[in-house]
Amino acid sequence: MSGNLVQMLEGNTFVVSDERGDIEASATDPTGLFSFDTRFLSTWVLTVNGQRLTALSTDDVQYFQTRFFLVPGTGTVYVDAKLSVIRLREVGDGFHEELRVLNHDSEPAELAIRIDAASDFADLFEVKDALRKKGQYQAQVAGQSLLLSYRRETFARQTCISSSEPALIEPGGLEFRITVPAHGQWKTELNVVASGGAPGGFPADPAGITGQRRVRRDMARGLEKWLNKAPSLNCDWQPLERIYRCCLTDLAALRFTTLTMPDRALPAAGLPWFMTIFGRDSIFTSLQTLPFTPELAAATLLALAERQGTRTDDFRDEDPGRIMHEIRYGELTAFEERPQSPYYGSADATPLFVVLLDEYERWTGDTKLVADLEHAARAALAWIDDYADLQGNGYVSYQRRNAETGLENQCWKDSWESVSYRNGDLPGFPRATCELQGYAYDAKVRAARLARLVWKDPEFADRLERQAADLKRRFNRDFWVPDGGYFAAALDADGRQVDSLTSNVGHLLWSGIVAKSKARALARHLLGPRLFSGWGVRTLAEGEARYNPIGYHVGAVWPFDNSFIAWGLRRYGFAPEAARIIDGVLSAAAIFDGRLPEAFGGYPRSATRYPVRYPTACSPQAWSTGAPLLLLRVALGLQPAGGKLIVDPALPTLIGHLELLDIPGPWKRIDALGRGRIDTGYPAGRPR
Amino acid sequence: MPPARGGSGAVDPVGRFFTSLGREPHIPTFERQSARLRFEIADGERTERWTVAVHDGTAAVSRRPGDADAVVRMTRDCAEAVVAGRLNVQAALLRGLISCEGSLAAVTMFQRCLPGPPGSTGRVPPISSQAVMAQRRPG
Repeated sequence: MSGNLVQMLEGNTFVVSDERGDIEASATDPTGLFSFDTRFLSTWVLTVNGQRLTALSTDDVQYFQTRFFLVPGTGTVYVDAKLSVIRLREVGDGFHEELRVLNHDSEPAELAIRIDAASDFADLFEVKDALRKKGQYQAQVAGQSLLLSYRRETFARQTCISSSEPALIEPGGLEFRITVPAHGQWKTELNVVASGGAPGGFPADPAGITGQRRVRRDMARGLEKWLNKAPSLNCDWQPLERIYRCCLTDLAALRFTTLTMPDRALPAAGLPWFMTIFGRDSIFTSLQTLPFTPELAAATLLALAERQGTRTDDFRDEDPGRIMHEIRYGELTAFEERPQSPYYGSADATPLFVVLLDEYERWTGDTKLVADLEHAARAALAWIDDYADLQGNGYVSYQRRNAETGLENQCWKDSWESVSYRNGDLPGFPRATCELQGYAYDAKVRAARLARLVWKDPEFADRLERQAADLKRRFNRDFWVPDGGYFAAALDADGRQVDSLTSNVGHLLWSGIVAKSKARALARHLLGPRLFSGWGVRTLAEGEARYNPIGYHVGAVWPFDNSFIAWGLRRYGFAPEAARIIDGVLSAAAIFDGRLPEAFGGYPRSATRYPVRYPTACSPQAWSTGAPLLLLRVALGLQPAGGKLIVDPALPTLIGHLELLDIPGPWKRIDALGRGRIDTGYPAGRPR
Repeated sequence: MPPARGGSGAVDPVGRFFTSLGREPHIPTFERQSARLRFEIADGERTERWTVAVHDGTAAVSRRPGDADAVVRMTRDCAEAVVAGRLNVQAALLRGLISCEGSLAAVTMFQRCLPGPPGSTGRVPPISSQAVMAQRRPG
């Protein structure tokens, strides 16, 4: 099959096809039409007189629309240029395809246009595992439609395929026997409707679902409006304008509406496989984008509060007050073979929920939402004290209770080897990773502010502040690695330090838990040769046993991670250090044409002129998309305070003059200007 | 209102659940929430209806039909599993065991008063570093 995968998306329905628009799914080719985490089409192959086609070009007209220009024949030498085929595909409830055949010859063309269609109704989780399905399939011709269906007990999913022109329909597909006049054309509309995917949607509530789809469509069409609403950016360094526009456009594509909240969009984690709510990813992205698109944060807070844990459920790792990790809608979730209904195995999303609530209020003055979410915030804070302290030592730690399908590492570095001692050994469980303590500290400090300002409960505020001060004192004592001059990655199940040097110390600066006397040592490490590659801060320091420059969480550089580290550095007054990170990550973004990957290799910048992309399936990734936005905020030193916006620029020389105009907030709209004065050691005008 | 009774004559867990929900003076997980739900529970030929009006920490329960934001339909077996925490509502909706007409948000909210699965303790024994390493070593 052709190498190029074309992805298009609308809500959580998406199509992955080859460059011809064909779908031929197999265990190794995760193509198809997916909706609500189920594959509704695994075969969709167009032939003309039995011949496959060749793509002349493929245009992504919009993120939900693609146009394929095709000619019959697959030979590399000869293509029959007397005929061309244009497929215009638009994703919605399934997809809509306009198929147009143009005859360029002076003779009429007798053609058999055929579309092979089939569906394996695989759960997204099954796609790569090629698991055997437990239900029954049916392909049925009903009038002018082909119905593909799958049923396992009461679980039913259906794909309905129909066309505007009469077709010969049989269980394997549709065929059109047509004559296209000389220099004429023929056209048909093909409709593929996926149904039954929505919860409670089978037997379907077509009116409800369709109505919600319409809202999404309107949103998609409002891309231009979305771009216009965000602050505008002007800059001497041209690539930054492109990066900025790319971030905003990708954020628009990543907007996701839930069935319970169809009128508000929150950022999904990544396109296309993570087009769902992830507590951590949605929160971090919302934090990054607050100065630009604050409505994403409001939607995230409401959606997460709606699904906040209320009971003890070991299969889902749910506790009262806990903020969810991931929600899915496919067959494995439906039959409780996977726990994402939703799954709660994340130890950071809960404190970060409170952090976001406070940051959101600072950027919007929306005290009503803070009042509405008082119960949710208090429950989240109670979770930190009552459920997250698994070792009884006053620290947040995690250990999955679902040992089969739960997540082993419930922090942002969630791969199996991400937490290790210097010698490479892995600690036992529970694990109290350092950044979790920072988030918990920040959550308490910020909640204290909200308790005074909005909830009118100064006693609660006092208590939170006392707890935070105590946590900070203990943390600076128990996590500090004296012979390294940094904070341990974690405390293990015995309270022993997991002593490797990781990028997470930068998150500690962001949270404010670091004693002032220790901050300079951290800044030195973060910008030192073991952690800083020149493009950014590595996840794990060079010299640690598990360090690997292309190791996912053990050496690669994550733009999202770096954006929060830069924020942390500025919080402690290390503006030149933050500027070096801004320079590195934005330079990488320029090389990646504005769209940062999830991660890139930790090779030194002096050794590779270009950052080496880490191969992942998802692009754009929400928190990579948000990273340049947060870096802009950090570069301009934007800080909301008491309904005003403080602007304190500290830009690398690379950027030159920068204007961010019409920044929304309680101040209505404010402009921020800055000029790059910090020499980061890399000359401007490097490879772009 | 006398507790509803199941066909076998034993005290019916579904009726007991709704009745006691209506008697709770304060349900913290319903604070600042509001929605009206009608549950239609099919038991052979018979359909039992419960209407629950949630309003800021309270739930008014009645057997009278009326307007609702969501009409939730399931069998009696299903309802008994739900109120005992043996069946997760979200999973049951996906599986087609429960259907919802109207607001899914209302159903999502209602789940807040349901118990977790029986046997969930919230605790598991710690795992040592040696055990983790042994699992990760090849062979």
